[in-house]
Amino acid sequence: MTSGGWRSFELTIPSRLEEMEAVHALIAEAVEEYSLNSEMAHWIELTISESMINAIQHGNKADPAKQATLRISSSGDAIEIIVEDEGKGFTLDKIADPTDKANLLKPSGRGILIIRSFMDEVDLSQREGGGSRLRMVKKLRGDHGADPQ
Amino acid sequence: MSMVLNPRRLDDVVILDLSGRITMGEGTLILRDRIQKLLAAGDRKFLLNLADVDYIDSSGLGELVTSFTTVRNHGGQLKLLNLTRRVQDLLQITKLLTVFEVFNNEAEALKTLK
Repeated sequence: MTSGGWRSFELTIPSRLEEMEAVHALIAEAVEEYSLNSEMAHWIELTISESMINAIQHGNKADPAKQATLRISSSGDAIEIIVEDEGKGFTLDKIADPTDKANLLKPSGRGILIIRSFMDEVDLSQREGGGSRLRMVKKLRGDHGADPQ
Repeated sequence: MSMVLNPRRLDDVVILDLSGRITMGEGTLILRDRIQKLLAAGDRKFLLNLADVDYIDSSGLGELVTSFTTVRNHGGQLKLLNLTRRVQDLLQITKLLTVFEVFNNEAEALKTLK
């Protein structure tokens, strides 16, 4: 699939952490397609990984009968990432602030903060028929993305 | 590349040289298991050398926090050494730099553990 000259990527997996290997492989393909530099590639991989793990563990409660879907596309000046799950959904504003002194020593709860810190846009919506849809956009500047062939 | 952990000892300080990726699953379990075994053997002073760790996710950060609190609850100390810029950025974003003592020089770190 192409979008404005760049390929788009899509993957749907059952909600098992073992499936994350396929997610990382797809990210590597996208990084190559969009000619991202190593710094951008690192943060893109980290934030997509965090969002997919959230979808598997928190959205779908690690139920392998439920699926998580990842879509990656680029217009050339930005990368759009969409992660969908089949869970009951949550509200970004209701997530406890992991940088609050009371939460600093908790072992979890930092994924959304990392995503929000790196991405330029983060929107969460509910899908028709159930499930959540997390849309993230990262603008590309300088040498982060090359022209399509 | 999954995480590799190599322990070495200088007097009563255990230095854990970590390399690779500290991520959900195997990477975090390796660290947790090793810290617990060392604590059970009586060790109380730990230095985690992260010089060769270029990728850590939120679960990996959580495991560093768990290691820190576990060691502290045993009356010990756990400090970090040689953060890569990416790991430093993550600790900054999550404000974990206010939790950990971080060093760029092993000798300096060891002095504070004496």
